[in-house]
Amino acid sequence: MKRTAVVLAGLLLAACTPRVEVVVPDKPITVNLNVKVDHEIRVRVDRELEKLFEQEQELF
Amino acid sequence: MRWLAMFLAATLSLSAWALDLQQAKQQGLVGEQLNGLVGAVQGNAQVNAIVSDINRKRLDSYRDIARKTGTSLAVVQSRAGQLNIERTPAGQFVQRADGRWQRK
Repeated sequence: MKRTAVVLAGLLLAACTPRVEVVVPDKPITVNLNVKVDHEIRVRVDRELEKLFEQEQELF
Repeated sequence: MRWLAMFLAATLSLSAWALDLQQAKQQGLVGEQLNGLVGAVQGNAQVNAIVSDINRKRLDSYRDIARKTGTSLAVVQSRAGQLNIERTPAGQFVQRADGRWQRK
């Protein structure tokens, strides 16, 4: 009876051992530059289109 | 002299096309689409002929711009669609997000 109590207590205490798990991400950290690139391309495309509207007025 | 005649004929036919596209837009026969091309609001043979001629030339220019700016034709077309719709004066037709025609 007493031994059972001791074993049980041991088990309960063992369950309480602090455990901090550090997980290393398996994917590399990426910085998303798409937004900036998109914006730059858009500005360049818009500039070219404005030129086209001027040059080819009969098409627009 | 013959060259001059040909040059004049070419210039005149160009302005005839221009007049046709502008007229077609003003009469509500043609509208600006989201894909940067014109579309027939009310199709007939003459309107369809103008539409396909204009679109062929526009696509050539859009391809040039895509090449020059290092992007895809799809990107150039969607930007052109945006700008064309913005530039359209009130009373003429533009394509809405759901694909339908709307008088601006």
